[in-house]
Amino acid sequence: MTDEAEARLPEQHPGEPEPEAAPAPARRWRRWSTLAPSLLSAVLLLASTLLTVLTAGLHDSPAAGNKALTDTAATDRVTGEIRSALGRILSYSPDSLAATERDAKTLLRGQAAKEYDALLASVRQRVTDQGLTLTTQVVRIGVSHLSGDTARLLAFLDQTTRRDGEKATAVPAQLSVTAELDGGHWRITKLKAR
Amino acid sequence: MRTRIASAPGLVLVLVVSTLFCAFSLWAYVRADGDGDLSYARARDDALGAARTHVARLSSMDGTHVAEGLRKWRESATGPLRDELERTRGKSAEVLKEEGTTTRGTVTDAAVTQLDERAGTAKVIAMVRVAVEPRRGEATTDRKRFEAGLARTADGWRLTSLQAVPAKAN
Repeated sequence: MTDEAEARLPEQHPGEPEPEAAPAPARRWRRWSTLAPSLLSAVLLLASTLLTVLTAGLHDSPAAGNKALTDTAATDRVTGEIRSALGRILSYSPDSLAATERDAKTLLRGQAAKEYDALLASVRQRVTDQGLTLTTQVVRIGVSHLSGDTARLLAFLDQTTRRDGEKATAVPAQLSVTAELDGGHWRITKLKAR
Repeated sequence: MRTRIASAPGLVLVLVVSTLFCAFSLWAYVRADGDGDLSYARARDDALGAARTHVARLSSMDGTHVAEGLRKWRESATGPLRDELERTRGKSAEVLKEEGTTTRGTVTDAAVTQLDERAGTAKVIAMVRVAVEPRRGEATTDRKRFEAGLARTADGWRLTSLQAVPAKAN
């Protein structure tokens, strides 16, 4: 605001109650009336930015990205499907070996499928020759991570082996499982013995 | 006065917009912070983290510092498990000192299987690799599978139970 402008004002707006020479308090008031809203706006915008960043942080936190247990339906679904899949692919008898292999073809993918094929190749002879039967039961299963179409689970298994004319023995086994959602069904992509 | 007349509507507009923007950001933040799923997810991660720490601790014992090890065990527990550890304290110290075995437990995988956020209770399954160093003889590695019960205390989640999950006898 220049002195020239202030000096001319009374002439242009004769009705205004502004004093002709604009004393110091009025000038200060005018300066503040511009400065205060500007400052307030700046502070508000700064606060908004901060809040937006904090909100984004809440949404992007690892806790929010993991739907294990928070999405009950999806959690039940993946545990149910993997529980059943493990029971099927890790149970065989001389009569059901072919069916087990067929199940494995649909239920396993990638690395898990490759490793499973090698495993089955190593026991196939014994299954037919010794009448070897393996029954696997999942006794505990939990989802540690679930997001969209991938999941990680931990499963505790009881595996019962039986040979022709021998007594059955149950041994504990544990697997960390990685699964992917494919065409609406969970398929095992990685298996790691623990 | 020309400056004031020219800038006043602009200033008012900026002030109104920034006030609205700030109010909206505050609302969005409060909503996200109070999100039930998010707080449940945080409780789940807290419980899992605590379970990993405390299960590992209860699978570990320095055979040369038994009293210290037993104190750590008690600190990892609350409720019934803590009572039990308190009760068997003397006997455990005797046996552990006698054996002098050092064990170190590492949780290799774990998952929360149940979580009641309101009650502050959880159940976790955990796989533990235990390195066993007897006073004499060779070191071995043992694998154990556990089911742990947890409860939320003022100091965070603590174990209320810790049980090995054995293979069912046929």
